[in-house]
Amino acid sequence: MTAGVAGVAAAGTTGNGKAKFGPVAWLRWTWRQLTSMRTALVLLFLLALASIPGSVLPQQGIDPGAVTDYYAAHPALAPILAKLSGFDVFGAPWFAAIYLLLFLSLAGCVIPRAYRLAKSSRQPPPKAPRHLSRLPQATSFAAAGTPDEALGSATSLLRARRFRLRTGDGWVSAEKGYLHEVGNLLFHLSLLGLLASVALGGLFGYKADKLLVTGDSFANTPTALDVFHPGRLVTATDLQPFSITMTNFKASYITSGTQRGEPASFSAELRYSSQYGGPQHRYDLQVNHPLNVDGAQVFLIGHGYAPTFKVTDGTGHVVLNQAVPFIPFEESGLSSDGVIKVPDAKPEPLGFTGEFLPTAYETITGTVGSEFPAAGLPRVILVGYEGNLQLNNGQPQSVYSLNTSLMHRIDYPIKLLAPGQSIVLPHGLGKLTFTGYKQWASLAITYDPGQYPALISALGALAGLILSFLVRRRRIFVRVSDGENGTNVELGGLTRSDAAGGFEAEFTELTAEFERELGQPAPAEPELVPAQSKGE
Amino acid sequence: MTRLPRFARTAWVATATTALAGAGILLLAACDGGAIGAANDPGNTSGQSFVSASYNSKFFAPGSRELAPAVTGTLLTGQHFSLKAERGYVVVMNFWGSWCAPCRQEAPVLGSLATHFQGKDVRFIGDNVLDEPATAEAFERTFNISYPSINDPGEQVALAFHNSVPPSAIPTTLVIDRTGHIAARVVGEVSYDGLKALIGDVLAGKS
Repeated sequence: MTAGVAGVAAAGTTGNGKAKFGPVAWLRWTWRQLTSMRTALVLLFLLALASIPGSVLPQQGIDPGAVTDYYAAHPALAPILAKLSGFDVFGAPWFAAIYLLLFLSLAGCVIPRAYRLAKSSRQPPPKAPRHLSRLPQATSFAAAGTPDEALGSATSLLRARRFRLRTGDGWVSAEKGYLHEVGNLLFHLSLLGLLASVALGGLFGYKADKLLVTGDSFANTPTALDVFHPGRLVTATDLQPFSITMTNFKASYITSGTQRGEPASFSAELRYSSQYGGPQHRYDLQVNHPLNVDGAQVFLIGHGYAPTFKVTDGTGHVVLNQAVPFIPFEESGLSSDGVIKVPDAKPEPLGFTGEFLPTAYETITGTVGSEFPAAGLPRVILVGYEGNLQLNNGQPQSVYSLNTSLMHRIDYPIKLLAPGQSIVLPHGLGKLTFTGYKQWASLAITYDPGQYPALISALGALAGLILSFLVRRRRIFVRVSDGENGTNVELGGLTRSDAAGGFEAEFTELTAEFERELGQPAPAEPELVPAQSKGE
Repeated sequence: MTRLPRFARTAWVATATTALAGAGILLLAACDGGAIGAANDPGNTSGQSFVSASYNSKFFAPGSRELAPAVTGTLLTGQHFSLKAERGYVVVMNFWGSWCAPCRQEAPVLGSLATHFQGKDVRFIGDNVLDEPATAEAFERTFNISYPSINDPGEQVALAFHNSVPPSAIPTTLVIDRTGHIAARVVGEVSYDGLKALIGDVLAGKS
């Protein structure tokens, strides 16, 4: 702790002295702490903790309206929270600090280990120990010929079995199973690859959703997308500039049996071009069969109905003539609900809430529903309102909800409407006609440049792990010396924790082969020393 | 006796892997910003970012302006429109939709500014997105909008600006100078004084 000028000098010249804890030693200590397992776990916990405010407080990138509301509700607290990046938690400097430290911690642990493993995989086997009988696997026998001849045949035998060899005076050591280290190395490098891939995807990737009605088109630009989640470094100009038109949507359902009403197939016929004014291509989009445009993938993830309406207001103008997407609220009959807003109707703005029933039924008691998801008997039922839709005050609102707090219910008989039927609104408010229906598809657009690197890394990590579990590193030592009945051959074997088992069998087999090859002196009986097990 | 070199401590590696996987999941979750409720609301058109204009008005100095693309389109009236043909005028291009609340709030501002600059070398042009013509025309009647709008339900005009100054939300207003270069962009609602000053500066050729 008394790090002064002397400490700096000592650390600078001699590295680390225990007594003198200089800046270099401090740095080394800090690095060791950072790359320790405990720190990684603490950082991981911190990361989880730090993301809590992101789900408690409204976030600018997700719901700017809610942030504005929060400002109105907490005028004193909100500016302070904004200073602390409370409304942009996942972009906050302190959030970045945690995950960058975590990345650093993991990389700092994996890189030196990879280096050590690479070194160890090239190491030659160690010298043969003096007393082979102390090894877990050991045996000895007498052999014909001179010690040099015996050693020679032992060496060639081990070489034939593709052991890595090291020879000395009267001994040979052999090692096999370096693939264990290679597997380990592969695993560690793959982990680094995985880290890099995740970072790549998080920085340069994006996700978006788009609901598209048959006959409509959209461009892959932020304003056209319903939901857009860009990566940290993605700007509007980075989006692949494609356009998609859905020319047709087909859904078929199982019509009989216990699975009646379950979807059988979906397909969306698309026309797309990969840039503004570019040539048009066709694609038949199906579930799990995405369209790939310049690396961006377009998935078909949902579908529903968009009934079409024509509204004529009290002044005789057509104020709405389009499809309005309704959202299914049940699966078996695809009954859907939705909202029609007609803010520009005169004399009063109009709003309707209602349901679309693809194959409608009505019970005697007046309950309505849909019994099948296909549009066999399409009907809508609508409740009308007139008054202030509160769309003109600048506050964004969902197109799927109607705020009726400043509106009045329009009095007309509520009943199921068939295509072509109209509701004539009282008091000169106008007329609504249910003109038909279209289908819509919801598309998910994802771009993740880290996807394939991540897959390759994950496979690499798995392969490495399997390799390091299956292959064990093992050593065989041979020592020869002059004995009473010719040459005395000592064999010893060693392996690391032998999870898979089998080294003992391999050693016994090897011993037998040695004895066969090296041959025994004719008169004497072979003197087998039983294998001595240590600590087993 | 000989000792083997220390082999990998498997427990360590296992823990590290778990930590890594956890970190990966968390980072993915963090980086994509958390799609709250998005899955159940496939057409959440209101989820687009509407932000207050004061923070999102950007003026480009004459030397650093991007050339606007040569967009063409069909007006709600059925006539042909070409941006290139407007060279020599300052063009105010407003991306809007009748369903968009901030657009409805800024519409009177745009309408009166169009009147204010009448007779000067300023052309106002709207780009109507995600509406059918009947709906868009009803909006124009409500707010007495006299300038034309491109009928652009598929947002092809926004796409054409992909390589220059793309609109990042609805509404977005671009001010294009006499040479066809983008001089200013306002994302979100415009204010009367703010946009008037911007147009005035571009008209005067100020930097």
